Amino acid sequence: MPRLGADGAPPFLPIGTLLAGALALLAGGAVLLPNAAVLAGPVNSPTMVALVHVFTLGFVGLIFAGTLQQLPAVMFVTKLAWPRLGYVTTPLLVLGSAAVVTGFARGFAPTWLQWGAIGTSLAWLLLLAQLVATALRRWPKDAGSHALILSVVFLAFTVIAGFLLASARTTLSVASVVGYPVKLHLTLGLFGAFMLGIVGSGQKLLSMFALSKGGGQWRVRAAIYLVAAALVAESVQAFLRVQLGPLPTLLLAAGGLMQLVEVYAIHKRRLRKKLEAPIERYVLAHLFMPVAGLLVLFGQPAAAGAAFLVGFIGLAVSGMLVKITSFLVWTAVFANAKTGGVSGGAPLLRDLMRDELEPVTTWSLTGGALLLCATFVTHQPALAYAAASLLLVGAASQFVQVVHVVSTTVLAGRRLARDAAAVTAQEAS
Amino acid sequence: MTETTFNEINANLPARNVLESLHAVIDPELGLDIVSLGMVYVVSVVGGVVNIEMTLTTPGCPLHASIEADVKHVLGQVPGVDEVSVELVWDPPWTPDSMSDTAKSTLGFW
Repeated sequence: MPRLGADGAPPFLPIGTLLAGALALLAGGAVLLPNAAVLAGPVNSPTMVALVHVFTLGFVGLIFAGTLQQLPAVMFVTKLAWPRLGYVTTPLLVLGSAAVVTGFARGFAPTWLQWGAIGTSLAWLLLLAQLVATALRRWPKDAGSHALILSVVFLAFTVIAGFLLASARTTLSVASVVGYPVKLHLTLGLFGAFMLGIVGSGQKLLSMFALSKGGGQWRVRAAIYLVAAALVAESVQAFLRVQLGPLPTLLLAAGGLMQLVEVYAIHKRRLRKKLEAPIERYVLAHLFMPVAGLLVLFGQPAAAGAAFLVGFIGLAVSGMLVKITSFLVWTAVFANAKTGGVSGGAPLLRDLMRDELEPVTTWSLTGGALLLCATFVTHQPALAYAAASLLLVGAASQFVQVVHVVSTTVLAGRRLARDAAAVTAQEAS
Repeated sequence: MTETTFNEINANLPARNVLESLHAVIDPELGLDIVSLGMVYVVSVVGGVVNIEMTLTTPGCPLHASIEADVKHVLGQVPGVDEVSVELVWDPPWTPDSMSDTAKSTLGFW
């Protein structure tokens, strides 16, 4: 049994979790392509719901989990509590997510859904405990860190709500108490967990990568309060059966607007003129927020959901995935290398990427997300197949990129170590 | 740009020469050396013992261990240096104004 409290997380834990997330998107894309016709049908079909959970639990969830093995230490400027917790949480997340997806694909099979929900709920509660324990070592004062912590709280609630939904399908007593709060589950996941996660981590990471003086803390705090208020309103609607009309939607729109303005402000105040391609993808992702808002206004909630989930969240996560993987694997290989860092021949972070893959990833995912929205509006199978094709190309390009980053760094580390050993041997002889 | 402070009690190992050597330490994210980036605040030399007070672009930067190791690696090769210690400080915080004009230009600053 690994020592959960030992210092220093084995680097392959977060890196492996990130790679698993990128692989989940590729696998989801590969399954979607021959079944793309489902995109033109009802949004609550078993295959459709299974594919959505490949994206949310598999792709976004695993990358979020991998990031939480490193980012809190950077944001809170302290050591990560229980750095080897990933030994437990990553397998739980992978198996739990696979069970949930299988449960949906088999026509909402309750046993698969319940066991999957138990696994993912347990994993996210453990990750939440780890995050809080890390924060307690040096409680952060900035709004970005608070947004990150709250996003993991909401993510744990999201998977617990998923467990309640699975239980409500089989147990009448559960259904009579909690009803079937699908909308609350969706809002918790999309806005409470994923959007606030991007708000919190992006505030730090975008400022860092763009060398920006940062945006306004008040906008991040406002986004937190607005999303939290929307979730309270959704809960009142779901559990107290009190109808509040468009209030939750308006609160969420205002929260989204805060993030949009915040990213614009950070981007405008940046001192690094040319951003790296993955960071440009992260910034571009935010343009899908007004697209989603317009689709809501025109009465297209499914298309709005696609724009928000695949366009905004998908592109933002994809951009940060490449940067975070580069940092993680570079520090894992070269942080304590006897050959030194760049002075000893280690590559620069930007040299780890294959530049030609970045526009492929960005524009395939962007085009795929736009065509997905169009498919949900028009229900045209031809558009569905075009959307699925582009999403698969984007997912493949992204996967090849992260594998390339990891393999290039590891091989460079081995080459330098070998050269250093040869020099030492020569000197000794 | 940051003005580095020099403290030295060793005429054979001028602190300015130590600072010059640090041009070999490159920030792997920005691709520029830590001296041009204005990260080195103080270079102290007492006998063969060198102490570097420096900062990073952001507190909690995940590259801190590698940059610190690289400083020790580079200075360890300077004749006369027996021991190197690196102290990371956050006051004053690093800002882009700390950089040399050449560094700003290389990064394509406004």
